[in-house]
Amino acid sequence: MKRLILAGLALLMTCTLALSQEAPMQDILQDHSALITKSSRMTIAPAIAAISDSGLTQAQDVLQAWQSKDIWQRKSDGLFFRAKETAEGSYILFDFDSGETLGEADKADLKQIKPNSGVRALIGSALVTFQLQDSDPARRLAALTSIERNPSSELLAPLRASIDTETDADLKAKKRRAERLLTIAYDSDESARVAAISDMSGDLGVDLRATLNPLLETRTEVFAGEAPEGLNLARRLAPGEDISTEAAYDLLVTAGLAPARIDQAEIRATLGTHISEQEVGGVALEDLNQPEARARAYAALVAQGLAEPDPTSAEIKAHLDAHQFVEIYNEPSRPVTLAASEALEDILLNVGMNQSLDLILDGLSLASIYFLAAIGLAITFGVMGVINMAHGEFIMMGAYTGYVIQQLIPNHTASILVAIPMAFVVTFAAGVAMERLVIRWLYNRPLETLLATFGISIALQQLAKNIFGTQALPLTSPEWLDGAWVLNDVVSISYIRIAIFILAISFLAIFLFIMRRTRLGLETRAVTQNPRMAASMGINPNRVNMLTFGLGSGIAGVAGVAIGLFAKVTSELGNDYIVQSFMTVVVGGVGNIWGTLAGAAMIGFLQKGIEWFNPSNTLAAQTFMIIFIIIFIQFRPRGIIALKGRAAGD
Amino acid sequence: MKNSFLMRNPSTLIFLAALAIFTIMVTVLSEAFGLGLISTSFVKTLGKTLCLGLVAIAMDLVWGYAGILSLGHFAFFGLGGYMIGMWLMYERTRDIVISSMSDAPIPPTAEEITDAIGHQIFGVVGSSEFPLIWAFADSLVLQLVLVVLVPGVLAFVFGWLAFRSRVAGVYLSILTQAMTLALSLYLFQNDSGLRGNNGLSGLQNLPGLDAVAQDVVSIWFLWASALALGLGYLLAAWVVSGKFGSVIRGIRDDEARVRFLGYSVESYKLALFTVTACIAGIAGALYYPQAGIINPAEIAPIASIYLAVWVAIGGRGRLYGAVIGAGFVSLVSSWFTGGQAPDISLGFYTIKWVDWWLIVLGLSFVLVTLFAPKGIAGLFDLAGSRKWPNRHGADLGPDAGALREREANE
Amino acid sequence: MKLLNSTLAGTLALAGLTAPAFAADCPIKVGVLHSLSGTMAISETTLKDTMLMLIDQQNAKGGVLGCELEAVVVDPASDWPLFAEKARELLTVHDVDVIFGNWTSVSRKSVLPVIEELNGLLFYPVQYEGEESSKNVFYTGAAPNQQAIPATDYFIEELGVEKFALLGTDYVYPRTTNNILASYLKSKGVSNDDIFVNYTPFGHSDWSKIVADVVALGADGKKVGVISTINGDANIGFYKELAAAGISADDIPVVAFSVGEEELSGLDTSNLVGHLAAWNYFQSAEAEANTAFIDAWKTRMGAERVTNDPMEAHYIGFNMWVNAAAAAGSTDVDAVRAAMYGQEFPNLTGGTAVMLPNHHLAKPVLIGEIQADGQFDIISQTSEVPGDAWTDYLPESAVLMSDWKDLGCGMYNTKTKTCVQTLSNY
Repeated sequence: MKRLILAGLALLMTCTLALSQEAPMQDILQDHSALITKSSRMTIAPAIAAISDSGLTQAQDVLQAWQSKDIWQRKSDGLFFRAKETAEGSYILFDFDSGETLGEADKADLKQIKPNSGVRALIGSALVTFQLQDSDPARRLAALTSIERNPSSELLAPLRASIDTETDADLKAKKRRAERLLTIAYDSDESARVAAISDMSGDLGVDLRATLNPLLETRTEVFAGEAPEGLNLARRLAPGEDISTEAAYDLLVTAGLAPARIDQAEIRATLGTHISEQEVGGVALEDLNQPEARARAYAALVAQGLAEPDPTSAEIKAHLDAHQFVEIYNEPSRPVTLAASEALEDILLNVGMNQSLDLILDGLSLASIYFLAAIGLAITFGVMGVINMAHGEFIMMGAYTGYVIQQLIPNHTASILVAIPMAFVVTFAAGVAMERLVIRWLYNRPLETLLATFGISIALQQLAKNIFGTQALPLTSPEWLDGAWVLNDVVSISYIRIAIFILAISFLAIFLFIMRRTRLGLETRAVTQNPRMAASMGINPNRVNMLTFGLGSGIAGVAGVAIGLFAKVTSELGNDYIVQSFMTVVVGGVGNIWGTLAGAAMIGFLQKGIEWFNPSNTLAAQTFMIIFIIIFIQFRPRGIIALKGRAAGD
Repeated sequence: MKNSFLMRNPSTLIFLAALAIFTIMVTVLSEAFGLGLISTSFVKTLGKTLCLGLVAIAMDLVWGYAGILSLGHFAFFGLGGYMIGMWLMYERTRDIVISSMSDAPIPPTAEEITDAIGHQIFGVVGSSEFPLIWAFADSLVLQLVLVVLVPGVLAFVFGWLAFRSRVAGVYLSILTQAMTLALSLYLFQNDSGLRGNNGLSGLQNLPGLDAVAQDVVSIWFLWASALALGLGYLLAAWVVSGKFGSVIRGIRDDEARVRFLGYSVESYKLALFTVTACIAGIAGALYYPQAGIINPAEIAPIASIYLAVWVAIGGRGRLYGAVIGAGFVSLVSSWFTGGQAPDISLGFYTIKWVDWWLIVLGLSFVLVTLFAPKGIAGLFDLAGSRKWPNRHGADLGPDAGALREREANE
Repeated sequence: MKLLNSTLAGTLALAGLTAPAFAADCPIKVGVLHSLSGTMAISETTLKDTMLMLIDQQNAKGGVLGCELEAVVVDPASDWPLFAEKARELLTVHDVDVIFGNWTSVSRKSVLPVIEELNGLLFYPVQYEGEESSKNVFYTGAAPNQQAIPATDYFIEELGVEKFALLGTDYVYPRTTNNILASYLKSKGVSNDDIFVNYTPFGHSDWSKIVADVVALGADGKKVGVISTINGDANIGFYKELAAAGISADDIPVVAFSVGEEELSGLDTSNLVGHLAAWNYFQSAEAEANTAFIDAWKTRMGAERVTNDPMEAHYIGFNMWVNAAAAAGSTDVDAVRAAMYGQEFPNLTGGTAVMLPNHHLAKPVLIGEIQADGQFDIISQTSEVPGDAWTDYLPESAVLMSDWKDLGCGMYNTKTKTCVQTLSNY
């Protein structure tokens, strides 16, 4: 009612103003000039109300311009305009009332009105009534989004009124859903709310839970004796069981129903104020570094009436027994809370199941990233037995190749399609060069291979820093990989992760194909099993080793592009994956691609599982995972899938 | 007996003499006790380098002599530092707390003092409770025991598990690296109770010795480090010269044969692994009070790999080689990265050593591995023109007389 | 008595002799202690370049006290113990008069004992967690009450956030800041259940689970906001995952304390438009001094380079030091320190920075929304907020204050009226 009167008053005012100056909107804006330029959510409401309740046709236009930061103030006279930037950098001004162009102005003469996100949301809410019936579906959607973000009871009626006239089927469904949610929260009719709750039960949306949970909010209260009738009780709390005795007693203290307990700091402070002749309460000062001496001194003070006594445990118990502790729903309607808690119980069960599914997807995604990072290593280390500490740097090299290609080819899709083969070529060449120059001299000295490749690793890392700088560089995924595949509000996974998963699967297929179906695969297997026998069969072991190592390195390069897309490109990219990659190969079982797959799956799921148990500390998950792997290797030193006749290190 | 041991190992005698001369020289040139030609910060650097020499000896024992490429010895080094750091921090903070509490009208209880110390130490990392691992932090003796015990027990448990299941070679290296990574990640957590990423700091201030200036303290630590290095060298030389040394060298060259000869290979490896971890712990306990701060970044796997780099460049299988490697590479590294090395102008490009030193180090490491497996210490062999039978193929191990590459293939 | 008198006179004469000799000791050396290699090089190299630019500019103006300034640059290589070693080297071998340096808190804690032992002077330019006050350090970056608290207020008042996700990298700055914020939020009536805290390691890249957890917080029907103290590279993965999950700044706003122009330059920001950052300076601030500063920087370093908050901190700190040295007529540490209190210098955002007796600056707090071009749109700017060394929102620190000018104590207990300690905590 008050609002109506206000609106009427405003209308009256604007009418008179309009008569006098013919610029009603500018006048409203000028009236609230201070609020508008200050632009704070706490104070802006009157300005927005004045505009939206003005009844002027330009109100919607003004609010929309305001929301999209298009209102500018002319510094010379403080007038507000909608402004549009020209190609030359100056601004064309539009008058709100006439809609006419008022010529151009320099940016230096104008001040942009920048409503913050909170103010924009308030403007959005004010716009809802205008936009719900708008002819532009985009604006109707904007209105709906506003309702979803800031639901309120006033919006229920206009929303209901707009459903029947809605032509867009998609929007109509959305409006129906919003209407149901608003009904649950705000309808005055109890049975309508219960009906709406049962309509929506089983739905997984966060918005539904966000509507139901506030209905079930409780407060804890204390009553002397029995709790009065007529309250919507959630439950009674028994001290010591549902609520700790300390917390229960604290409640009594805050309610003023019991004397406060005295803690050590207070005792010390009280003793400090009663020092006389190096004694307190008959206890010598130097003895007061003993807790029992302090207790004695304090008891003496209490006896003299100089201090408050600390309630004994018997007193505390008596106080607790004399009172009843209850949780009361803030929502007064019993049927609504009952229906809501039932519905929520169903939903939570459903949510739990979906969360497990989401966790599985996350684990799968992490596993595929580890697999991708480790598959190159599965070739160089698993098949050839060469330990390559620079493997991580090959991944990094692939990622930087992707970055460079993206600088040359601006189209993201094309650049990724070029980057993948290019990354393979670059790292293949680097791998072959490294094999020829370093590794082949060290085939019989595995420990020294480790050290030499480590030397290469630090050199490559520093080289990348010198060339590209230490700043993380962007490797942007194509637009069609933006966003996520959303099953419901609980289960979703980003497209980029799906792409990595597919890439990992196809690498597995390629690997199997090369090893089982091609000449190179046959020769590789022959050389790794018995080089001299293979050589006598006419296979050139040098060539095969070179190509196999190149293949492993090339795959690492392609993995680098994928990892760069999903995370970041830095010179330390490889470092993050090297230990995990070796773990993956060792845990899985050396020399077997299925083992690597199993290893990646185990590590990925394990890490996600531990994270789930301890969600506030991701670091702990990594630590525990590594410890688990160390212990696992003690019991299965040959990995999950062991080749016969080979022990770790043989 | 000792005399004859030293006579049989002239290199030990030479090394100890060189160490003694070095220590006296530094003392004479230092600011505290001499001419003031060597700044206190450089005395600290030299003292730290001696500690690195000690941990390099430990590394050389496990790797150069027993063939176990452990990428975890710097973790043991760090643990030793943490153990002594806990006492240093606790005691220094206690002094501060007691002096600030002494003004209060009511004398503090023991519990209040402990709480205040806890708040002081852990306040910066947002906590104030003393974790359980600080239980002995108030006792210097117990913490000193822990300096040896904690790395030793960790090495024993890890080694027992690993050697028992016959994990060897590169697998063991990767496993030790994983252990190091797990340890550093654990310490990085605030909840580890060792102040997370911040670590323990202010360790250069010895409790109760506020009046003693740092230039004096730095010389004390130099002496202590030199003494520890000397004793460690003697111990290591004695170990490798006896039967034990022969067995571990045998394990390095062919583990299976030694096992078939009836030696308990695992026990030998485990004993050596544990003892060297203890030596590393002692080295760390001397190093970090000179560095002033210890934090988990010190323990990161890369540090242990650098340790292997030093030993490899210095020369594996020779104790003095390890010390030379650690000293040479760490000092040269700090010279190059410290910005003192002159830039080289190529006309079109200026080589800044800050940027390029790591590349040079990495590549020189590859070259040493490929062409000079004996490292710098190999030069001593050349200088002494010591002869060994000219067998075919390159050395498989770093020692003269180790199995040759071609023989190994047979 | 006569002997005592003559000794006294002797020392006074000596002091009188050495003080002017000190001032005339040309060139005046300025230590620059920033990592040029290692993980922190990315951020700190920029600050080294800033210092060199400022020193060159000052030399062009005629230096200080008639002396040229000479920069002594050392590289602590992101290695925390090395910071202490290099600081000692700067003070004892190079005899620098002042040091500008450090970025991470742990490096500062490493340097503190050395600086205090040798009575050096350090200007620390980065926003930090507070809870520290050293006689020998001037903190020109933001204390929590100059960044975290105003940003949280903005969340509560302007955005109506009721549920807070405090996400941070697991180290001391996020830990302490989140502790302070949790305590502050409780004082504002936010219950414990509405504060979600998560710590991730440096360089964390797998953010899907955490982002999903944050979205799930909305199930209570309360508006969720994220306060991010995530450091460095990890931000890239976090914002990418946020964008992939389709979370707009209007649904779940994120305010970051460690993301500035420099960090955004490695990122495609089109999906992040509207998310927030809180600093004392943004490159987009409209002020003449700022335009001149940006021009000088771009001319020197290249047009694509951006400016950021710690650079402004060095700009203010360096100029204040120059003025204080001129006022004191000497570069002696104690003289400069005494002259520093109350020093005023125009900051780059149009106001005036004042050095307080607690070694912190009074600076305005700016909140900016990320724009598509990687710059910030400043939507809120407070008047100057005095930096507070000891936060008012943790019970143990609330009673502490720092006043080096009159009380000569960095950790003064206002309740017991005693100085807890004169050396700082490290």
